[in-house]
Amino acid sequence: MSNMPLAGIRVTDFTWIGAGSYTTKLLADFGADVIKIESATRMDSLRSTAPFKDGLAGVNRSGYFADRNTSKRSVTLNLKHPEAPDIARALIAKSDVVANNFTPGTLEKFGLGYRDVARFKPDIVYIAMSMQGSSGPDSKYVGFGLTIAALTGLQYLSGQPDRVPAGTGTNYPDHVPNPCHGAFAVLAAIYHRRKTGEGQLIDLAQTEPTIALLGPAVVDYTANGRVAERCGNDHGSAAPRGAYPCSGTNRWIAISIHTDEQWRALDQLLQITEVQTASRNWLDRTLRLEHRRELDALIGARTRTWDARELMRTLQAKGIPAGVVQNAKDLIEDDAQLAHRRHWIALEHTEMGRTLYNAPPIRLSRTPAELSRPAPLLGEHTEEVCLDLLGMTRARFDVLKAGGVFE
Amino acid sequence: MSGQGALAGLKVIDLSQRFSHYCGKLFADMGADVILVEKPGSGCALRAEAPYIGDRADPEFGIPFFYLNTSKRGVTLDLTHRDGRELFRALACEADLVIEDGVPGALTALGLGYDELATLRSSLVMTSLTPFGQSGPYAQYAADDLTLLAMGGFLNMMGYPDAAPTQAFGNQASAMGNMFAAVGSMLAVLGAQTSGEGQHVDISIQECVVMALENAAQFYDLEKRVRTRFAGSQRQAGTGIFECADGSVYIFAGGMAAIRFWGNLVQWMRDEQVPSYETLDRPEWSDMAFLNSDRAKDAFSEMFSVVAKGKTKEALYREAQRRRVPLCPVSTLADVAHNRQLAYRRFFTSVPHQPSGRDILMPGAPFQMSGTPSRVARPAPTLGEHNLDVYAALCISPEQLQSLRNAGVI
Repeated sequence: MSNMPLAGIRVTDFTWIGAGSYTTKLLADFGADVIKIESATRMDSLRSTAPFKDGLAGVNRSGYFADRNTSKRSVTLNLKHPEAPDIARALIAKSDVVANNFTPGTLEKFGLGYRDVARFKPDIVYIAMSMQGSSGPDSKYVGFGLTIAALTGLQYLSGQPDRVPAGTGTNYPDHVPNPCHGAFAVLAAIYHRRKTGEGQLIDLAQTEPTIALLGPAVVDYTANGRVAERCGNDHGSAAPRGAYPCSGTNRWIAISIHTDEQWRALDQLLQITEVQTASRNWLDRTLRLEHRRELDALIGARTRTWDARELMRTLQAKGIPAGVVQNAKDLIEDDAQLAHRRHWIALEHTEMGRTLYNAPPIRLSRTPAELSRPAPLLGEHTEEVCLDLLGMTRARFDVLKAGGVFE
Repeated sequence: MSGQGALAGLKVIDLSQRFSHYCGKLFADMGADVILVEKPGSGCALRAEAPYIGDRADPEFGIPFFYLNTSKRGVTLDLTHRDGRELFRALACEADLVIEDGVPGALTALGLGYDELATLRSSLVMTSLTPFGQSGPYAQYAADDLTLLAMGGFLNMMGYPDAAPTQAFGNQASAMGNMFAAVGSMLAVLGAQTSGEGQHVDISIQECVVMALENAAQFYDLEKRVRTRFAGSQRQAGTGIFECADGSVYIFAGGMAAIRFWGNLVQWMRDEQVPSYETLDRPEWSDMAFLNSDRAKDAFSEMFSVVAKGKTKEALYREAQRRRVPLCPVSTLADVAHNRQLAYRRFFTSVPHQPSGRDILMPGAPFQMSGTPSRVARPAPTLGEHNLDVYAALCISPEQLQSLRNAGVI
């Protein structure tokens, strides 16, 4: 038996698309047996979302899907088939956790909601991750990470004050806030279950973790009546601070000056203070904050001839917080730190060949994460799960298969 | 067990100074006994961060501190002092988890690193949250939230294509580090629960930021395309931000994931009598290459602007959702504070702030648990508020306590 922290934990996983699949991936990479229930009739739409290996679309070729589904097994089950819910129940009976991120009511229609499941499996840890929670006036609303980020305030608050809100340009709540909060809640519930034998329902609304992260700004409103506004890269007490152009196309460096010493060192290295500006004492933080746009222009004029990476090394040697604005290519090919941490893992996939995956960014010294397998092919493990885990006879399996249960 | 959190009985020592307080908050609100250890005199650096309750610049009024340390108890302890380190070892001997955000090697230099503490208590988990991790070429690099968003590849994807990249609001890089630190800590605690063996959890904020890149790494790996930022234009036709009477809304109706809602949108355009709405029924609108073209984006923009013009974000939100079209208002935090669904879920919780005598409304549990609800059990501690309780439990006499206080240890 493996010594992984979640060895022996089994998850019946109805999640799909972003937030849900990433939650259960965190469990799978640390030893849980995560069995992803899919259906060819209503497929996880990430399977048909770019990028694809060699740019060729196919249900087993999406890198977006693959990265969110490592270490899992895939079972196809068409829940609309009358025999299917019983098979799902048999699997749940052998599981510790059930996960889904459907609109409330979806699994309930098949008798697979928390109350149904708790009747035959009272100690189940059941996580439902709908957009706005399992009940309430807006609980049936539809959305994706980008619209959720809009609803939480994050979209409004990110970007330049004089332009349309920029947001993060991604479905951010799907990728980190919801999966991490969901996984944390499941793990805490497992801890409690081991001590008491009790299961429970975790009802995660996909808006709430992101709002929780905006807590200080929310309290500035509730306590002080101040509604936060977009502020670009500005910071209340650090200036200059921003992304400055470097040589090349779309190359930038982020620099943040928090102390007078850092300012002095930056000025010395880049010769920012010239005769015409020397009359101002830039060593005064208040003055730097007040004239930050002027300083941004002066710094940008200096940085634009530098190679971004070389400038970062030069500034870091003087203790100045500076970082290259890296793109995905930089991260994969040139980042010595991510390489040191072995962040990128290449796995051999039946259809995609050798492709890159993110290792979970959690380094455990004794029981490190293990990407035990690449993303599963659609339905790759249907037969093995039915026969080996559920103890179905071959004859029964063949009958069900012919009847279309596993489509 | 009623009324107790899922982590009741778990003991956590929180050494957070600047940016790892949210991790401990998740544990504390979940019922763990989290003791925040602060420097005598000034307290942890987060206390000095604005804004302040009632704009009163005082370490007991800082909003980030007050929000990020709910349900924790607080003690003061000088770890640079020999007696302080002795006391810390005594605390660690009873703990399940230590959380810290010091410079790599700082605790080891004090004789309080993971290896040393593990010899005192083998089941102990230590979680270290740092900008780049415990070792490696960038481990000692200076950083802040902006430079970490940059180094993690996220900043490049944020902002307008014709301008410098722009950060996500609210220290999201450290937020991501905290979230993965909480998951990593919990995994190691579960491991110790069955094996009795603890371990060191090493979290790099930069590496956590990489997890937010959506599919950008795979786009480069599989198709050799480098994604960048697009704010101000649609992500693909049918998905983007649109101005309305009192702000803007975000619609996500174009693209593979949303394709099942497209028909609802076309019907809406028809009911609004948008000119040439019928062209949206053409098959090209389910072709990603077309959706990525300027022609498609311009056409969509022209048509949807007819719908959005003159309506409020609230009206558009309700109408779109009634028709099952994925659209949400671009909310301000005032909108969020008055959101009816959050009110229904009692998401916001009132926490007493003793120094001002006010009750402060803040985001409460970020998920609802039926058996063991996460909740704010007490407000963030004032500096050294629990010295007496915590040190008495270590069998420190009042006389010893007084002499430690006189020596500036606590």
